[in-house]
Amino acid sequence: MAAPDGIVLEGVSKTFRGRGKVVEALRDVSLACPSGSFTAIIGPSGCGKSTVMRIALGLETADSGSVRIAGEAPMEAARAGITGVAFQDAALLPWRSVRRNVEVPLEVLRRRPSDHAAEVAAMIGLVGLGGFENSLPGELSGGMRQRVAIARALVTHPQVLFMDEPFGALDQILRRQMNVELQRIWAETGSTALLVTHGIDEAVFLADRVVVMHAAPGRVVEVIDVPFERPRRPPLFSDPAFHRVCDHIAEVLHGG
Amino acid sequence: MAADRGSGWRGLRVAILILALWEVAGRFDLVAGGALPSVGEILVRLWQDRADYPLHVWATLYASAAGFVLGNLAGVAAGVVFALSTTALRIFRGVNIAIFALPPIAIAPILVLTLPGMAPRVALAALGVYFVTMTATVVGISQADSRAADLVRAYGGSRRDVLRLVEFRGALPVILAGLRIAAPNAVLGAILAEFGGGGRWGLGTYLLGSLGRGEPDRLWGIGVIATLIAGLSYAAFALLSRRFLGSARAVTLNTAVPAAQPDRGPLARRIVMSLATVALPFFLWWVFIKATGVPDLIAKTPAAVVDYLFFSPAAGAAQERLWAAMAQTLPITFLGMVAGLSFAFILAILSRLAPRAIEAFMPVALVTQTMPLVALTPLLVLILGRGTSLTLWVTISVTFFPAFVTLAQGIALVPRSAEELPRVYGASRWTEMRMVTIPASLPYLFAATRLTVPRALLGVMIAEWLATGRGLGNLLNQSRGYLDYAMIWTVAAVSVGLAVLFYQAVVMVERRVLGRLGMTTAE
Ligand SMILES: Nc1ncnc2c1ncn2[C@@H]1O[C@H](COP(=O)(O)OP(=O)(O)OP(=O)(O)O)[C@@H](O)[C@H]1O
Ligand SMILES: [Mg+2]
Repeated sequence: MAAPDGIVLEGVSKTFRGRGKVVEALRDVSLACPSGSFTAIIGPSGCGKSTVMRIALGLETADSGSVRIAGEAPMEAARAGITGVAFQDAALLPWRSVRRNVEVPLEVLRRRPSDHAAEVAAMIGLVGLGGFENSLPGELSGGMRQRVAIARALVTHPQVLFMDEPFGALDQILRRQMNVELQRIWAETGSTALLVTHGIDEAVFLADRVVVMHAAPGRVVEVIDVPFERPRRPPLFSDPAFHRVCDHIAEVLHGG
Repeated sequence: MAADRGSGWRGLRVAILILALWEVAGRFDLVAGGALPSVGEILVRLWQDRADYPLHVWATLYASAAGFVLGNLAGVAAGVVFALSTTALRIFRGVNIAIFALPPIAIAPILVLTLPGMAPRVALAALGVYFVTMTATVVGISQADSRAADLVRAYGGSRRDVLRLVEFRGALPVILAGLRIAAPNAVLGAILAEFGGGGRWGLGTYLLGSLGRGEPDRLWGIGVIATLIAGLSYAAFALLSRRFLGSARAVTLNTAVPAAQPDRGPLARRIVMSLATVALPFFLWWVFIKATGVPDLIAKTPAAVVDYLFFSPAAGAAQERLWAAMAQTLPITFLGMVAGLSFAFILAILSRLAPRAIEAFMPVALVTQTMPLVALTPLLVLILGRGTSLTLWVTISVTFFPAFVTLAQGIALVPRSAEELPRVYGASRWTEMRMVTIPASLPYLFAATRLTVPRALLGVMIAEWLATGRGLGNLLNQSRGYLDYAMIWTVAAVSVGLAVLFYQAVVMVERRVLGRLGMTTAE
């Protein structure tokens, strides 16, 4: 089922050693996200979700196992401009305006920001920050900063999109709006998405499959398919079938 | 900004008050029997001497500016190279520490012996600038937000992209803060080199010429002018720095675990590297002598110094004189350093606790502390005499300034969110200080300590050279008078060696303490 151009992790293990402490962050984690699929990872804090993502992005190297992004090594995929990323922490450059922050991936990929001005503006509008293009990160709220990070992740129209709790600092209403928007963008671009989240409902609403992880050592305990039709609409949040899936995931999450 | 204006007024008021007190004390010869002339008398004397100043000021200004530009270019370039290549950083560590630690006064005679014309002054000014700027560049780059760097790497950005997009711009405030220390340093370097002799013009030359004539008002006039030059150069870069710091402050605390990178290469490689690190400064010393082509009689290679100190017929006497000088110099150096550092730390902490009170005091502190030390020493001699307390005060004043700037800068970099957290729980300003500001500024306290080590030695040696007639500074000055070239080189080498040793001791303590706290060194 692993299409060559999705995200494929096979038998990935990672142990952190430092200051006399050894943390087995990941043990034998395998994950296959077919091209164009939407996968959510959910798990308790510290179970290694961010580590999975950082390994898939090539920011961290696995001790063992293999990683393929769209059939290529993570760094190759990154250089080819295939990947997009939004971190748990907005990680904005404090001296750059909102617009110039959104342009960072373009600059890294040696694309001329002036050729993409319309997209940059569209992305900023999409996350509801029209009018704040020239503000500095220090002048924005936490949620606004995170929205800048989301716009930045989308600006390259990535084939493979990684998101680490991108909506963590947003209020519930905005979060649902962004969920709907994200689904729309993902469907439009046909990208492969990997979303790390703490929100079960968010995971179920967005994902084709929800990967549940447990901690110490970090490992995948179950992969749950989410069968609902697309496009999914906000009323789904109050559907009984939706709640049954959520409840099942909550059980697995709590070790049931 | 009503608050700004208020503190500005308060600063002005404090300044006027001090000037008024000074005027009164001067008029009635209240301090040290007339050693402190009144402001009016100094100004009158400045006016009378006005024909002398332009050429002296121009000579000093020219040498400082040339040294400043050259030193900064070298510093930034080297900083970037060192930030990119740990190997280069390691191999040049010995050279860097030596350049940093060398008390300029110790090598001023050497430079005058080996270089022509204005070159010794430019070189000494550049040396004073190089290290500050180089370190600031490396610190700034290595402290860059690792999350932002991750983002650039996640898009396949190369090391150079990270440098270009994240690190260099992030380093600018630190580099600018470095420049404001570097600028007065350049002036100090230029004046110190004038001290070593050579040339008719320059404020240092003027000062030395006037020192013997017992004219306090002229000495003070020269001091005021030298301070003005150094102070203005500081102010210019402080202003620039403030403009940048506002927007470049990180908004959240960077929690990423810093990558410690001890050399994990094979043992043989590590040994070769260590040897290269130690040998490189000596090698460059040797190259310098060969390159300048100065005769062996005057220029001593490392081998010649070793020969003089251990194998020549004069070795015994030389050692004895050296030991005696060191025994006089070292204790007072240590004492002055500790005092200057404590003063700086307390003031930096207070500047966060009671910003307004300190703001009013700041202009005064800055003026006295940017004062080039050489200009300060004769004045202190007039007031304090030629005893030990003079040495101590000179040392404190020369260590305090750089330490304070480093600490204040470090404390200003503590992220807002981290400081506000305790406040949310109703913590007092002091608790906030204790829980966040002081621990977060610990790396800067160590950085400040490293910065003050050689300066303390410099302060002591200047006081010894100019006034007290004791210790290493005096030995150097004497040897200069007797044309005892071997001793000049020996004292220079030993002073630098001592400073390096001190410095390394601080580094070791720092590594241990910060390592335990999981913090990184502000390298
Ligand atoms: N660079 C590192 N050095 C040492 N340990 C690390 C490092 N990065 C992560 N860890 C450890 O690995 C484990 C997994 O961390 P990770 O950040 O992947 O958790 P997470 O699932 O994303 O948690 P959260 O939901 O809180 O973000 C944790 O125990 C953490 O302490
Ligand atoms: Mg995480």
